[in-house]
Amino acid sequence: MNVLLTHVDYIAAVAIFLVGLYILLVKQNLLKKILGLNIMETAVFAFIVTAGMTDNGVPPLLGPDAVGPFASPLPHALVLTGIVVAVSITALALALIVRVKRECGSVELNELGKVE
Amino acid sequence: MSVSDLFDLLILALLITCVLGIARVRDLATAVTLFAIYSFVLCLLWAHRGAPDVAMTEAAVGAGITAVLFFTAIAKIGRREK
Amino acid sequence: MRKFLALVLIAALGAVLIAAVVNLPEPGTTDSPVHTHVSAGYIKGGHEAGGADNLVTAVLLNYRAIDTFGEVTVIFTALIAVLAATSLAGPTERSGTQNIDLKTTRVPVSPVVSFVVRLMAPFIATFALFVMLKGHELPGGGFQGGVVLGAMLILLALFSGRTDKTDDEELPPGLRNWIRAAGPLVFGALGLTGLVFSGWLFSLPDHPFWREMVMIGLELGIGIGGAAVLVGLFRALREG
Repeated sequence: MNVLLTHVDYIAAVAIFLVGLYILLVKQNLLKKILGLNIMETAVFAFIVTAGMTDNGVPPLLGPDAVGPFASPLPHALVLTGIVVAVSITALALALIVRVKRECGSVELNELGKVE
Repeated sequence: MSVSDLFDLLILALLITCVLGIARVRDLATAVTLFAIYSFVLCLLWAHRGAPDVAMTEAAVGAGITAVLFFTAIAKIGRREK
Repeated sequence: MRKFLALVLIAALGAVLIAAVVNLPEPGTTDSPVHTHVSAGYIKGGHEAGGADNLVTAVLLNYRAIDTFGEVTVIFTALIAVLAATSLAGPTERSGTQNIDLKTTRVPVSPVVSFVVRLMAPFIATFALFVMLKGHELPGGGFQGGVVLGAMLILLALFSGRTDKTDDEELPPGLRNWIRAAGPLVFGALGLTGLVFSGWLFSLPDHPFWREMVMIGLELGIGIGGAAVLVGLFRALREG
């Protein structure tokens, strides 16, 4: 029980990731699937940022009167890169979905199976 | 258990509520609105964790640009999920 | 059936992941591997070797410059791909019967919203520029300022009440395309400059003044180029 309380951030990130995976697997609407993918991405980002935090929550800013321990800057940089790449992926996927709607008239996966 | 821990737990509960809401609703516009709320709450959590750079980016990208892109797509494909 | 299989898969994956995360070091402890390996070196040498008080900027622009170069290339490539997916047409493209044209059918913008958005826009732009220029000392940097600027331009395109064209269409098309490519171009050019002057690709100058200037140039390039790419993504999606 104690472990569940101290690691509650990690467990919440895993829970969010799993709900995102559920949306991605079960929902038939393509846009909803992309939403699930975004949720999975943000869950991973939350996990990485949590891994790099310190208890006092000091951001990694050096300066004349900054005192540590600082949060680890490397996870922040990785997540920053990841967020910007995630929005690019989302935009490309949405462009393709709009194209699918225009060409096939539907964005439901089970209806698309019947389209010639 | 300090105030800071309680804040964390409240934020995590909000995040999971938003995500379960997204899994549940059939209306795509509602789902995207919930996703924007989720992103903004997540950015509060990161600001609290000592990651102001990431929080700033997530506030602009997750709650702003991604939501607008989703809404633009919904305007073209219809908001009902069958 | 499909739902049941998905739930079984998710339960199995969840069990594995939970078992993995509870064995990790407790989050927040400073003697975990995240804090004792590379990050410790970044924090110790960040000011001299990294050249920026904001260690996130130091990691992005100096220690891991090649990652960042790849990343600005990725968003530029994404813009090209979105333009290709939306505008390069199949036979049904220009018939436009089921294609909703947002410029003619959209709901008129409330004058209150339009006024407030136009009132806020210069302040948001100033903030974005400040975040870009001071990114090596305060929280912020190229990406952060760029996404704020991009969000502001998208807000203006949505709510300013203009129906003829968006603001970035005021720029001549040739210049607009160069600005969209600004991230990879500026980053690549300054990386090559480092190769010429010090022998290492993406290395920054040793002199503090020139190092600060190069960092500001990189952040402006990434930020303004990134904002232009994000607005381009939005416009391509809206018009495609």
